[in-house]
Amino acid sequence: MADAMLVTIVDDDESVRESVPELVRKFGFRVRAFTSAHEFLASDCVDETKCLILDVAMPGMSGPDLQRELASRGQRIPIIFLTGQRDPDLRRQLLADGAAECLFKPFSAAALREALNSALGVI
Amino acid sequence: MPQSTCSNANPTALEWRESEPESQCEACGSAALEGVRVPAILSALKRHETLLAEIERISSTGGFCWHAATGRMTCTEEVYRIFELEATVPVTLQLMGTRIHPEDLPLLDDMRERASAQASGFEYQLRLCTETVKYLQLSARRSEAADNDPLYIGAIQDVTRRRLSEEALGKVRCELTRLARVSSLGALTASIAHEVNQPLTGIMTNASTCLEMLGTDPPDLYGARETARRTIRDTERACEVIARLRALFGKWGGKTESVDLNAAAREVIALSLTELHRRRVMLCTELTEDLPLVTGDRVQLQQVILNLLLNAVEAMSAVEDRPRHLVVRTELDATDRACLSVQDTGVGFDPQEAQRLFEAFYTTKSGGMGIGLSVSQSIVESHDGRLWAELNTGPGATFAFSVPVRGNECRTHSPGRAHTLADSGQIMRGG
Repeated sequence: MADAMLVTIVDDDESVRESVPELVRKFGFRVRAFTSAHEFLASDCVDETKCLILDVAMPGMSGPDLQRELASRGQRIPIIFLTGQRDPDLRRQLLADGAAECLFKPFSAAALREALNSALGVI
Repeated sequence: MPQSTCSNANPTALEWRESEPESQCEACGSAALEGVRVPAILSALKRHETLLAEIERISSTGGFCWHAATGRMTCTEEVYRIFELEATVPVTLQLMGTRIHPEDLPLLDDMRERASAQASGFEYQLRLCTETVKYLQLSARRSEAADNDPLYIGAIQDVTRRRLSEEALGKVRCELTRLARVSSLGALTASIAHEVNQPLTGIMTNASTCLEMLGTDPPDLYGARETARRTIRDTERACEVIARLRALFGKWGGKTESVDLNAAAREVIALSLTELHRRRVMLCTELTEDLPLVTGDRVQLQQVILNLLLNAVEAMSAVEDRPRHLVVRTELDATDRACLSVQDTGVGFDPQEAQRLFEAFYTTKSGGMGIGLSVSQSIVESHDGRLWAELNTGPGATFAFSVPVRGNECRTHSPGRAHTLADSGQIMRGG
């Protein structure tokens, strides 16, 4: 597993932060989870992260805020957004801004696997 | 009121119908009227009578005199009309009792008791079971004239029309409140969907992980058990959200209970949190510990808190040049009332329009109906409380309400309840 790619999850919700990493690990990736965008930016795994699974609505810095911040730093990490709001306009906007995928919560394991594979180009 | 020239305690200018029909005013004999043209006086009296009878009709108010000890009663024509009694029958409390709604009959006994205790006065709201139900307001004061046989002079007003319009108003207010709830539910839809979708995501993902773990060879039983456990916990979380929703938007109305304003505020905040995050609002709560309980309808009070919260969020939606700060505070004010305030850093309001803030359908928002604050005010007032708004020294406004704490509340006026006129002449409300 030492060579497995690192997938990072940023979500302020505990249920998501506990369940999603476990599943992603089952898919064969290494996983780190953070409660906020700031926590992730302050960590040592920004450079190493191959794919970011990112909640849209978070207190403080939101998911799209982090997306912009990373872009301004020149960090091109593929982002899979997660959102509890079933808003097709929001999804369209996020994809237009460069997101790899946007999944509406709750999503199936298959949908997440597919999103990860396509984001990482490992189909 | 024209003064009577008679020494009799009865105000004779009114046409009293005596229960002892032959009772007369002795002073109206010849001596007092010597040298005066009797027909002129009689016609003047007649004019007064007609005038007063007309006033009685217009105001739906009849007068009565009641000798409490002997039970002798005299009353004006309007009383007969209100009680729908035959003009020739002498009126007694007993006869009145045959028209009074059975549930209100104990009030007549109460009146007798008070009179025998020489109360200085009394006030009742009664219902009559005549052809249609009538609502009456009866008030009387003891006349200083009599000692052993206390004489009460009073008025009975038919307040049915007022009552019916009050009821109609109450219904409209109820509808408005319902509308306000529906609209605040609408405003929270995204927040609620988010709150429910979080644990659902946990449930779905945990169940998938569990299957993955059982599908490996050998199966990861320990891991599967853990994820199953987490599935149960997330389900419980989803149930809690639904329970909070039901508490806030479920059945309500007229339920009086002890309410912890802090707990009520916390529940509302929990449901609105995502909405606050979504709108980039930084929330700070300053809830005073040991805040005494208040008496009221918890759901209604939470509706007020929610309205104030949503209002504050809306007021800050256009603010981009400063932080969107929201402070929810509870405290005991100087007059020992529980006070909850919601302070924002929003656009504030025009002080000249301050009076109109609480008017129904007054709104400065494009999407608002302008009923939230008006409904909130009527809810707070029904809790004997006060709702107000003030501009902050810095940017934004503070909306707050205060309600009496439990044990200090003054009971509200309700029909069929007896009121006593205290010796000071003020009406003491109680029941």
